[in-house]
Amino acid sequence: MSEPGSLDVVFVDYDNVRFHLSTPERKTVLLLSMNIRCWDELVQYGALDILKREYGALLSSQTEPDYNVSLEIDLEQVPTDPESREAFVTSLALLKRNALAAPFERGFATQKELDSSGGQGELMQIHYRDEEAMYIQAAPDRVTVIFSTVFREETDRIFGKVFLQEFVDARRQPSIQNAPQVLYSNRDPPLEIRHVPGLRNSEDIGYVTFVLFPRHFAPAVASTTISHIQLFRDYLHYHIKCSKAYMHSRMRYRVTEFQKVLNRAKTEVATTERKTASGRTMVSR
Amino acid sequence: MSVLAPIICDNGTGYSKVGFAGNSDPSFVFPTAIATRGSASQNSRAPAVPTKPGHLASKRGVEDLDFFIGDEALANAKTPGYGVHYPIRHGMIDNWDHMERYWEQTIFKYLRAEPEDHYFLLTEPPLNPPENREQTAEIFFESFNIKGLYIAVQAVLALAASWSSNRVTDRTLTGTVIDSGDGVTHVIPCAEGYVIGSAIKHIPIAGRDISQFVLNLMRERGEMAAVPPEDQLRVASKVKENYSYVCQDIVREFRKYDEEPLKYFERYEGEHSVTGRKYGVDVGYERFLAPEIFFNPEIYSSDFLTPLPQIVDDVIQQSPIDVRRGLYKNIVLSGGSTMFQHFGNRLKRDLKQIVDRRLDASSVASGSVLKSSGVEVDVISHKRQRYAVWFGGSLLASLPDFYTSCHTKAQYDEVGPSICRRYQIFGSST
Repeated sequence: MSEPGSLDVVFVDYDNVRFHLSTPERKTVLLLSMNIRCWDELVQYGALDILKREYGALLSSQTEPDYNVSLEIDLEQVPTDPESREAFVTSLALLKRNALAAPFERGFATQKELDSSGGQGELMQIHYRDEEAMYIQAAPDRVTVIFSTVFREETDRIFGKVFLQEFVDARRQPSIQNAPQVLYSNRDPPLEIRHVPGLRNSEDIGYVTFVLFPRHFAPAVASTTISHIQLFRDYLHYHIKCSKAYMHSRMRYRVTEFQKVLNRAKTEVATTERKTASGRTMVSR
Repeated sequence: MSVLAPIICDNGTGYSKVGFAGNSDPSFVFPTAIATRGSASQNSRAPAVPTKPGHLASKRGVEDLDFFIGDEALANAKTPGYGVHYPIRHGMIDNWDHMERYWEQTIFKYLRAEPEDHYFLLTEPPLNPPENREQTAEIFFESFNIKGLYIAVQAVLALAASWSSNRVTDRTLTGTVIDSGDGVTHVIPCAEGYVIGSAIKHIPIAGRDISQFVLNLMRERGEMAAVPPEDQLRVASKVKENYSYVCQDIVREFRKYDEEPLKYFERYEGEHSVTGRKYGVDVGYERFLAPEIFFNPEIYSSDFLTPLPQIVDDVIQQSPIDVRRGLYKNIVLSGGSTMFQHFGNRLKRDLKQIVDRRLDASSVASGSVLKSSGVEVDVISHKRQRYAVWFGGSLLASLPDFYTSCHTKAQYDEVGPSICRRYQIFGSST
């Protein structure tokens, strides 16, 4: 294994999350800092507890300026056998996922409490992008997750609409009957969040509601559910881009086919031999 | 202004280098290959069409998602039904369908970035037709809705990368770039950020040829007998990467090796990739002979015989007379095959000889009346040579000027793809 060197790398994740990985003091101590837009909201919903649970002593008390949370990784204490090393690296890579998991875990816990007592849980709002937000609310028998999505592009909006409606339809297929229920509404916010102030009411906004029943967040599957649902927006946008690329490739194919037709339609220029009076042939260059 | 770092994407014929501005190394380097449904040999350009009949919900195919890129593509090369394609040929994009999908996964799967939040810096080869720039802009602005785009010429970025060397005092974009990758070596003169297209020369000797030459040498000496045939080329390229250097005088080097073989011969230890059987080979003269094919191509090839320093001199002599001094003064190396130790020194010495000889000849021809003040020849080698183009991009994109030189989405919507025919040079201090 090569010697640890000094390092200073910035990188990003979806939804305006910025990371900075550096070795500010010694070459063997890595500092991993994350800046996430909705940090204050996440802290309010218990993100710090989750991060403490996941990373324990790694959580640095001194946060790097301009970032929200820092982890200090001492390379000399990193497990050496390949398997636990891999697991350790994976857990570090899940920093953003774990921070964002806080409101979900709280929602799932609230549902269990409400199961006996009844009533409604707190509506948790996470403004993870400038114009888009995620709302989580627990009820006695379910947890509702609502995403607001904004499409800046006309084309994207149409693709998005078709795609989201397909999403709703897909559930009718017998193989995925157990999937969470998905509702989609364009422009009008769903009832659960209609009272929230500051909601945009324009054509380019859409709301996707996931209704999670207790079977979706049973202890065995809860963490996968969280990982999947967090990425919903990016998943949606990736698919829109993929569909667009697919349409474009069909369009390019069409154009080349049309071009072939056009080429066939060209009239052949009659080539008669032209001669001068003295009998010499004229050749056009 | 965005706080998120711009994305630098350098798609080469062999490998793509992608990462974020401000870093010193690309975050990802992977082969520019894509594996899609349908065999590679089958030449129908038509994309797959969903075939299932029935109502819409059951018709939902995954034709648009069914592909792999990079190392995954090569790993899936043998999977039945998939074919590997290389969307870039000779530095230029050949298949736009594949390239669009390739970028898709590069951005979403590797960089994990939402393209709508980022500025992009892409690279293009010298003499790229403007139509290609327009196509690229169309894909990036219309499919990905990116914030802003800057398309830079690779050679210019390589010049910018040389600013990191402490021998460079003025940040100039005038110079000669020697870009040697795996397939071909280019010598490209640049004047104030613009490539002098008419003077570019290509040399058909690059990384792949050096590996082959090392292999030939080792086979002739009988070293390769111990190495399994399928590993031989890999061993040769490892030997090239790890042990080779450029010598100043072949004859002396041969004598040195013959007198004290124990001191200069190295041993390479390998392991059979399947059986795990160990083997070792002696590495000798090929250590200095390998890169020598740049300077004496006749030892390797019989149809290409002009040494690299001679080519560089020709290129500069073909450039406009008023930039020649600048071109001689700032010769920049880029690409993995220029990483040999002392490569720069040797090139500088040989080129200096050619130049001085010509100056002497002209002073003799003038009857020793006119004396030249001499021409300064300098070859810059620096630490970031391997990914010089990418690094130059990272350097330029972290300048505040970058955002003003970019074409933004709003400008694109106003003007259309033709906006990318124009581009602005920035960052240089002269």
